[in-house]
Amino acid sequence: MENKYRKSIVALAAVVILLTLQAVFGWVDAWAAVAPGADAAASQGAQGGALEGLRTFWNFTGFANFEFSNLIMIMVGLFFIFLAIKYDYEPLLLIPIGTGILLGNIPFVEGYQVGIYEKGSVMNYLYFGVKQGIYPPLIFLGIGAMTDFSSLISNPKLMLLGAAAQIGIFATFLGATALGFAPNEAGAIGIIGGADGPTAIFLSAKLAPHLMGAIAIAAYSYMALVPVIQPPIIRMIVPKKERKIRMKPPRAVSKVEKILFPIIGLLLTLFIAPTALPLLGMLFFGNILKESGVTERLADTARNSLINIITILLGVTVGASTQANVFLTVDSLKIFGLGALSFMVATAGGLIFARIMNLFLKGNNKINPMIGAAGVSAVPDSARVVQQEGIKYDTSNHLLMHAMAPNVSGVIGSAVGAGILLSFLLQ
Amino acid sequence: MTLLEVTSQTWTITLIGWSIVFTALVLLIFVFTNVPRFLKIKFTGNRKKTGKAASVTKSEASGSEYISGGDTAAIAMAIHLFFEEQHDEESNVITIKRIQRRYSPWSSKIYGMRNFPN
Repeated sequence: MENKYRKSIVALAAVVILLTLQAVFGWVDAWAAVAPGADAAASQGAQGGALEGLRTFWNFTGFANFEFSNLIMIMVGLFFIFLAIKYDYEPLLLIPIGTGILLGNIPFVEGYQVGIYEKGSVMNYLYFGVKQGIYPPLIFLGIGAMTDFSSLISNPKLMLLGAAAQIGIFATFLGATALGFAPNEAGAIGIIGGADGPTAIFLSAKLAPHLMGAIAIAAYSYMALVPVIQPPIIRMIVPKKERKIRMKPPRAVSKVEKILFPIIGLLLTLFIAPTALPLLGMLFFGNILKESGVTERLADTARNSLINIITILLGVTVGASTQANVFLTVDSLKIFGLGALSFMVATAGGLIFARIMNLFLKGNNKINPMIGAAGVSAVPDSARVVQQEGIKYDTSNHLLMHAMAPNVSGVIGSAVGAGILLSFLLQ
Repeated sequence: MTLLEVTSQTWTITLIGWSIVFTALVLLIFVFTNVPRFLKIKFTGNRKKTGKAASVTKSEASGSEYISGGDTAAIAMAIHLFFEEQHDEESNVITIKRIQRRYSPWSSKIYGMRNFPN
């Protein structure tokens, strides 16, 4: 008990000291402002260098430049870190982003190359990769080198679910336009429905750089919240009986097919949407590195060291880009609202389409409609959610591998979608 | 024309965009439902060249395409055990190697620091 009191007393004392300091220096400020010209110089001389030095120091501290909005953003950053540690929601993303938000919202005096938006600052250099859309393709390279497309190759029709869930992108695009955003901004906001962080950053950096921070944060936070957002929608759309459907185990896929997939995928999708080249090109390139079987070293670097480095840089700079004065706007709130909606629409789109597909499929070819939810490309979280839900209704019904098919096709689908929006809206 | 305060251009982008995404993936589906067939043709073609028992292997091949979860688990377990045990297999011969050092005055016990002169 005593310890508790002691802690709170110390904390209180610290706050009192800080307030006193601010009051004292605030008074000095006012006094200095009143005393004009030579008088001021004389009085400063009388005060002595020490106090003046302290005053300058105080003016440089975060406390002197503090604004309430900074506090809000710092709380958001702390909340992200809390979510990552306590609930294990995408910690690899939320910890760097959360810390980035803290970094970006330390109040400072502008003009000393500190802030992320100040030319020449270290953070600004790191942010270059985000601003110019360099990091997202490199992340895609790593994802490609990690992804096993065999579940997709063994049951290609599941790719339709990945396409169906992309309705989230286009519905949000419509919604954003209706809310008064310009077409290019609406396109950038729409991509949140693709549930793919790198794609969202890539597209918003090209179409609406001023909204990128909000879009990236919305995309990543909803991706982290997939385990919260999706289950109720699944339960709402898929009846209990259909949740128990067992799917035919996927057939074995030959090595030749695995090698052919990225090559054909690359050629086909990029001929259709060449603007998606940086994303899809790198994704399939990474997969070729993996499946070719002769470049294990390169694949290993892409899927481990490289993607880790880029994730760190991307996370922390995206987080830091949420500087309160840029981020806390009504537009950001609208973007967050639209983002949540787009995730729901995308999930619902996948699920409904899966049920429609089932009308045309017979016997043991029927699919479990829950895997439609994995069509949003939050890899592998949404597939994991489907697996968890599946187990709830039948403990031996493992849907993970089946759900991975729409999941990875969702990645392809959202990248194609991004490419299309880019080609329509880039001026 | 505007509908729900959204211009027709936006509707066009929405509809065309979504249908292009669908088209891209439908094309991929089309290719990959046919790739196995194509590979099989090549496969059986090779068989015919080499000669006998093509029909038998064909039925075997179609049967072996589907591996149940249990089989996969058993195979995975076997591979896992194989590699684990391979790691643990050691000669089990523990020896202490004798190393003979050549004499050096630096390591001599005769010239130690505690050898006081008589």
